[in-house]
Amino acid sequence: MADGLLVYWRLASASVRAHMRRPVFLAVRTVAAGLIVAVEVAGVVLLLDRFGTIGGWRAPEVMLLFGLAFASQGLALTFGNRLEADNLSLLVRKGTFDQVLTRPVSPLGWLVASYVDARFLGRLLAGLGAVAWAADRAGVAWTPGRVGLAAMAVVCAASVIFAVLLLAAAFTFVTVQGTEAVNVLVYGGTYLASYPMQIYGSALRLVFVWVVPVALAIYVPALVLLGRQGPPGLPAWLAWLTVPVSAGFLALGGLAWRSGVRHYVGAGS
Amino acid sequence: MCAYWAMLLAGFRRQATYRLAMVSGLATNAFFGVVRTAIFLALYRQRDQVGGLDVRDALTYVWLLEALFGVIWVSWIWETAESIRSGDFVIELLRPGDPYLRLLAFDLGRTLNLLAVRALPPLTVAWLVLPLRLPGSPAGLALLALSCVLAAVAGFQARFLFGAAAFWTPDYRSVWMLVFPAVWLASGFMIPVDYFPAALRLAASASPMFALVMAPVRVATGRSVGLALASQVLWVAGLWAAGRLVLALAGRRLVVHGG
Repeated sequence: MADGLLVYWRLASASVRAHMRRPVFLAVRTVAAGLIVAVEVAGVVLLLDRFGTIGGWRAPEVMLLFGLAFASQGLALTFGNRLEADNLSLLVRKGTFDQVLTRPVSPLGWLVASYVDARFLGRLLAGLGAVAWAADRAGVAWTPGRVGLAAMAVVCAASVIFAVLLLAAAFTFVTVQGTEAVNVLVYGGTYLASYPMQIYGSALRLVFVWVVPVALAIYVPALVLLGRQGPPGLPAWLAWLTVPVSAGFLALGGLAWRSGVRHYVGAGS
Repeated sequence: MCAYWAMLLAGFRRQATYRLAMVSGLATNAFFGVVRTAIFLALYRQRDQVGGLDVRDALTYVWLLEALFGVIWVSWIWETAESIRSGDFVIELLRPGDPYLRLLAFDLGRTLNLLAVRALPPLTVAWLVLPLRLPGSPAGLALLALSCVLAAVAGFQARFLFGAAAFWTPDYRSVWMLVFPAVWLASGFMIPVDYFPAALRLAASASPMFALVMAPVRVATGRSVGLALASQVLWVAGLWAAGRLVLALAGRRLVVHGG
């Protein structure tokens, strides 16, 4: 077991070192990833500056949701970017995945560890920065418990996004060509979860709280952090469900991935 | 002229073959459209008019944005840059006729297909279900169609200029990622520029990015239609000149490796 983990650690550090070899490239990409978060945040500030509130939430409170959403997206993509439809589709078509299967490591572990992309850390860091800034403006007093809750929210939401990537990857093994529709869940889901859930209809709420629980992992912990009650049917005390539900969804993604790999037939000659 | 027309038709037909991509693109736009609709309905629950837009204008903005999204940020966005980096672009320079016009004709064929299959259906459905503010007269609709085509042309020209960064650096994506946040904000793809503070709004309205989505929104909602169309024509001409200049400069420094 320890030996196995060591392999992944070495693969991951090798891929990080590979990025480090081009420090300017790494710096530019990290800054750019942070910039896009900054502009998105500026967009919400401009919007709520004009409108005052949305669904009864003020700008700093909405910003907390944005920060949590961006941070979890950054964390999930740091490890899972190779699972994105376009990237995986390329591995399948070039036959690289055939080689992966012959290696004495788990294919998923190999993919995740050898393509750790430090550039997405820019998104994670900028997201965390937004959380800190928003919490300060919203008057959240940081206690160890609240820090733990925020960290749990980011890790759980990232697991859900990672699981979506796994499901999409399993699908890509079948279609070979990746599909853009996955973006609905990866980017659309976090976009949706960046606004308070009470503004959505019951169908959207049901899907993103209970089926693809990205909103459960972002919105409900944010309710607790902000000391809010939450709308009917989505009370703050559901926060304790975040971990088991996200873990369950991650397990589902894992099962889909395994079934995808089992049904994989090469696409090359 | 005939050759460019043929390129345009070929582009149209080529795009028509990607059916799965079309369906998943439609699903993506529909989803974001629904979420944005919920956001703007919630925002306007307490206000009647903000930045000169009422809720009908805002919903029109949302669905025009979704309609034009795939037309501006096309799925083949890196094609020119990749062909420059790999050296394949040299073939474009060897072919008869004008390379810029040929690329434009082919690209416009593809984006016209997207306008027909990815822009028109969601916009029509949204118009049936939601209180959008679209032109009521055939002349108004014709102007909106013209504005969308001008947006597609300006979109190609902007993409060409960004792709042309590959003539100077192999890491053209970093260049793009650094300018993208500003483009994203100024183009109005995130929030309508009408909500910006005065100075920022003026800068965004005077930038070429205005031609991409904000000008069609103006034409659709019937606010300063003439000005919006004039600025689109002006920017198409301006970007045209810039694109040709870049191509002339780049043609002189293009080095092709290999035998």
